[in-house]
Amino acid sequence: MDLLLQAHNLTKRYGATVALSEADFELRAGEVHALLGSNGSGKSTLSKIVTGLVAPDAGELRVGGQPRRFASPAQARARGIAAVYQELSLVPDMSVQDNLWLGHEIGGLLGINARETARKTDELLALFRPVAGPRFRAQTPVAELAPDERQLVEILKAVGNRPRILILDEATASLGARQVDRLFELVSGWKAEGLGIVIVTHRMEEIFRIADRATVLRNGRVVGSVEMKDTTRAALVGLISGEAKRALQVEAKAPAGRSLPALELSLRAAERLEALELQVYPGEVLGLGGLQGQGQRELLLALFGALTMVGELKVGGRPHRFAHPAEAMRQGLAYVPGDRNREGLLATRSIFENFMLPAWDGYKTGTVLQVERAQKAVIETGERLKLKYGGLELPITSLSGGNAQKVVLGKWLLRHPKVLLLDDPTKGIDVGAKAEFYHLLNDLRAEGMAVIFNSSDEDELLSLCDRVLVMLEGCIVAELSGAALNRAALVEASLGLKGEEGAKTIGGGEASRP
Amino acid sequence: MKRLTSQLVAQPYFLALVLMIVGFAVIALFQPNFFQPRTFGNNLRSYLPLICLAVAQTIVVIGGGIDLSLGAMLTLSSVVMVRTFGPEFEVPPDRIAAGILLGLLVATLAGAVNGWIVAYLRLQPIIATFATSFVWGGLALWVLPQPGGNVPQGLQDLVRLNALLPFTLWVVLFFGLGWYFFLRTKGAKALFAVGGNPQAAYASGVNVDLTRLLSYAGGGFFTGVGALFLVGDVATGDPLIGAPLTLASVVTVVIGGTRLSGGAGGIYGSMMGAAVYYLLINVVALAVIRFGWSSQLQTLLTGIVIVLALAGPGLVYLTQQLRRRA
Repeated sequence: MDLLLQAHNLTKRYGATVALSEADFELRAGEVHALLGSNGSGKSTLSKIVTGLVAPDAGELRVGGQPRRFASPAQARARGIAAVYQELSLVPDMSVQDNLWLGHEIGGLLGINARETARKTDELLALFRPVAGPRFRAQTPVAELAPDERQLVEILKAVGNRPRILILDEATASLGARQVDRLFELVSGWKAEGLGIVIVTHRMEEIFRIADRATVLRNGRVVGSVEMKDTTRAALVGLISGEAKRALQVEAKAPAGRSLPALELSLRAAERLEALELQVYPGEVLGLGGLQGQGQRELLLALFGALTMVGELKVGGRPHRFAHPAEAMRQGLAYVPGDRNREGLLATRSIFENFMLPAWDGYKTGTVLQVERAQKAVIETGERLKLKYGGLELPITSLSGGNAQKVVLGKWLLRHPKVLLLDDPTKGIDVGAKAEFYHLLNDLRAEGMAVIFNSSDEDELLSLCDRVLVMLEGCIVAELSGAALNRAALVEASLGLKGEEGAKTIGGGEASRP
Repeated sequence: MKRLTSQLVAQPYFLALVLMIVGFAVIALFQPNFFQPRTFGNNLRSYLPLICLAVAQTIVVIGGGIDLSLGAMLTLSSVVMVRTFGPEFEVPPDRIAAGILLGLLVATLAGAVNGWIVAYLRLQPIIATFATSFVWGGLALWVLPQPGGNVPQGLQDLVRLNALLPFTLWVVLFFGLGWYFFLRTKGAKALFAVGGNPQAAYASGVNVDLTRLLSYAGGGFFTGVGALFLVGDVATGDPLIGAPLTLASVVTVVIGGTRLSGGAGGIYGSMMGAAVYYLLINVVALAVIRFGWSSQLQTLLTGIVIVLALAGPGLVYLTQQLRRRA
């Protein structure tokens, strides 16, 4: 058998997080091999190692039988490995043609062979011409293309220099149905020519349409490799989620007081969001689940007045319209951003200043700040958070990641918010800090705070939330609570499959009321 | 015709083109002798160093950087040339060649050092090049503590050449043609990609760090060319001559429509920007004389006019917004 690629024992760590652990993988000539797994399972890390974007800490990679170690994408490409990246690798200001050949232009030292380049560009563009718009031409700047057309350029860029191994990392995510059909036609053709194709996708039906084999990862480990003709959807979902269906029953949590919702949203449209409705009640933790980047962040930003939206928003039963986060804050909303360093902290200022940035309103007489009272409040909050710090005036950078995240959350507690919006607050913090955070969240719930909690960690959603809304491509596709809130249902809903019995599956963005 | 006009308006250098035409028109009205061949050539000759610096700065800025040491680099390169030419009035040919080559080499190396600091030590370009500007300036004072020295007659004659066109216009044509062909090389694609989206460039297999370094080295080389024309023009060396041209070069780049954050633009606009810079100064001087204003006002007025020219696109955008709201 002709093995194009063998990976053995690949391991990659980021700080304390193990992204990939002793992973094995192989790719044959003339096969389409799917990489499956939920958020953070390591499938992206694996494909990035193969393409030279990420260097492994341990393990061996063989290409065509020869051991290889790639220090850059250029080296991987020299061995016939090309990738379509999830995050676009195009230069917006440059034309379609320049982007297609960037880094491997046709021509010698004297300059680019314009005629040959134009001919090959036309050949490539012709592959997708019938499923692209009128602007899909060689000289159009990429910035002027629609997102789906940019993705097509990205695909053509990867196949442009005739690779032997092609990696499609979520390449279909922004494509329409006809474009996906066309892509799969082409993939079948490339397969017949003997290419090895790795496909990373969350669309289960696509895997069954196109893949010959699938390798499943979970928590950075390879948990199985199966022939597609020998498997079923249920078996694959079981492998991805790590348990048989209905194996886990989460105890129903104390029902939240079904009085007046603390926050109600009836959204018609916003950036990356479709029509949807949600309510969160005092004393309730409402989870936002699904794959990453399905509109969860945008939904939180829209609620916080940081993203323009069309729709109705009620806080404590009264309609509001937030044009700016300051207005949302005045109504008792607080937002803990996902990107701690960019949106959550002033890196050059002290712990005290970081705490007080949103809270000074409550600690001043006229324009004079009540520093001593504020310091007392911060110290109290620090105790409550079990914050480990050397002194209030030390720079925020003196804190560990987990403790810095406590400040990002803790600064809002000084305002006593009614609704807390959390965007993946435990990402990248250590286990101990996570446990403390979970305790705090339970306390806040007991105090009657309403919490909307976006998390990429399924375990958190299962163990902390009263209800979970699963999002997919800007819609809420399922609402899970009680017995229906289990791992299998969560994974299924995330992948856009039909929910099992007991879960409310929501079509067309219509939310049902609890 | 309509299509040509709309294409022209869409060019990044459209503002520079308009300002340049307006500038020349105003001067043609109020100072017609500006266009007498001799005067015209002399005026254009004084533009030459800034035109070279504009090209240099454009290359660096397109690659996503900025070089605030170009003025000092120009000075250093020029004093190295003058010192190598030596004190004798008649400079032997080998010394002429050595002087020119050494000057170009020093400037290119200085640029490469800037590029290395920015690309490999990852310092902020503004800080790094501001710091090295003192190094180049200090070196220049060490090489030539006081103004003086000789420049070979041949070099002086060269920049005063007027064959069909003044020498400056030949240089501009040559640069323009060179740029036209450069845009069709791999190097140009790498330069624009690195300035426009370094991650994408890296993922596409472009050597991002090396491209950055080379962009600064290229800027250094054109600064050296500017130094060559400068000594040809002023016929002597001066260890403090270049400093004011640094920020002028940034102004020419911005007027010329090259984006300061990198990845878009070109030298056509910047070279026009250099002309605009001098024309604005000239127009203001004319106005001061004509209306009998105090000559102390000239700096203030020049400053205001440059600010307006830079703010042009922003002002147009603002008025459009206001009109839409009304």
